[in-house]
Amino acid sequence: MAKILIIGAGFAGHTAALYLGSKIGRKHEVTVVSNRDVFSYLPSWVWVGVGHMKPEKTVFKLKPVYDRKNVRFVHAAVKEIHPDAGDQYVLADEVGTGRETRLDYDYLVIAPGPLLNFAGTPGLGPENGFTHSICSYPHAIKTRDAYLALCERMKKGEKVKIVIGTGHPMATCQGAAFEYIVNVHKDLVKKGLRDKADILWLSNEPELGDFGVNGVQIKRNGHMLRSEEFIKSVFNDHGIRYQIQTGVTKVEEGKIHWQNYEGEEGVTEFDFAMLIPQFKGQPFKYIGKDGSDIASKIVNPAGFVLVDGKYGLPYPELAQTPEAWPSRYQNPTYPNIYAAGIAFAPPGPISKPFTNKNNLAIAPAPPRTGMVSGTIGRVVAMNVIDAVNGREPSHHESMTEMVAACVASMGDSLWDGSAVTIVMRPVVPDRKKFHNEYGRDLFISHLEMGLSGAWMKFMLHHTFMWKFKARPGWTLIPE
Amino acid sequence: MQQEFSKAEKFWMNFKLYQLWRFIVLNLKIYTVAVQSKRK
Repeated sequence: MAKILIIGAGFAGHTAALYLGSKIGRKHEVTVVSNRDVFSYLPSWVWVGVGHMKPEKTVFKLKPVYDRKNVRFVHAAVKEIHPDAGDQYVLADEVGTGRETRLDYDYLVIAPGPLLNFAGTPGLGPENGFTHSICSYPHAIKTRDAYLALCERMKKGEKVKIVIGTGHPMATCQGAAFEYIVNVHKDLVKKGLRDKADILWLSNEPELGDFGVNGVQIKRNGHMLRSEEFIKSVFNDHGIRYQIQTGVTKVEEGKIHWQNYEGEEGVTEFDFAMLIPQFKGQPFKYIGKDGSDIASKIVNPAGFVLVDGKYGLPYPELAQTPEAWPSRYQNPTYPNIYAAGIAFAPPGPISKPFTNKNNLAIAPAPPRTGMVSGTIGRVVAMNVIDAVNGREPSHHESMTEMVAACVASMGDSLWDGSAVTIVMRPVVPDRKKFHNEYGRDLFISHLEMGLSGAWMKFMLHHTFMWKFKARPGWTLIPE
Repeated sequence: MQQEFSKAEKFWMNFKLYQLWRFIVLNLKIYTVAVQSKRK
């Protein structure tokens, strides 16, 4: 009987656990270890952050689902990974008791999600700083409370400055921030307070609508439409100001310090700011048989797990080398270790990187959340099943093949709501397969705003909650 | 280059029948590629 251990129960880890438990959970031991005992549907935290959804509607307990799917659940925070052959185990501290627990494994899937590196920008974040975030459950609730308090001030006639975007020169997840800013706009319009707020989009993107994926391009009615002009239209239409090519370097009470591509330094004042932090890998210790630190064999300096990608290519070469992107998500030094979701180390950025004259790199990191995370979770699960059955891992899907959909809602009404729907295929441009300057499938790629997007967002919330609860037919729903 | 949505574009964004058609198109697109993905 093989022991399969999954660290993390987010989109990637939970997807992997459901496939592994369903397919081999009766014959083999499948265990999930996570410091959270609930699954969180992150995309709906945008609605939590403006007070449109109760937080408890975005989460559910993991253990009852795992009990049905032959998966053991351990509620503990992982601290050490011992990967050397003969004695492979993970050490974790049980949540609540603090008792150390040892979890042996034959196959390890690392999918713990990102470390929200608020410390990377002095003054950033809701705990030790002055800004808000929708990147965790408690943060989304705190953001909602602060936003609703701001609305009360506006109702009394006060004019306020709202800044939403990225809080680090190398931050990712611009899509979530974009969805939040348009939801804030829509909510203020509905409350009759829009004229009381100056809303600014502050981002590290090289151009509007880049989203860390080099933008989205589609063919519509015979014409090319790029996300840059589309998002510009959205912002102009909504009266949202924008400042891009900007890296936030420090935050003080009511003041955001930044540098831009030209190397200019500036300060933007705010009453309320929601800024996405830099993501890093979880700070696990990787310890060899002799007790030495062997982290460099498994993770890169940012803590992301090295897998079957080609690392170290300069950007111009990487942009022309789709095969540099990993497809099996297997660590080359320890083939029984896989990484899924944010945890795997990408070979480089998707968007064009930039370093200003002050040597500050301002470039969005590649997003690997949501659909991408779920797809990788499934691929990894299938490869572990291959390995358990004595076969070579045969499943593969790189981000240069993957499709991703992002629905940025503007309000939650099914009658007069709206949303920007973005579908891109592939996520990472493949200029060898798709013979256009963008390296994308211009037929499948989709960029549209309208009521259908609001229906899509509503449908996604409910179908994904169904899927992640492993209810009948869950495998038919795409990742 | 497009800078703001035209009145016609805004009309289609809220025209329910047209939006139902776009909803179906979008779902078909995602489903088609998701099925290809599952075969890998």
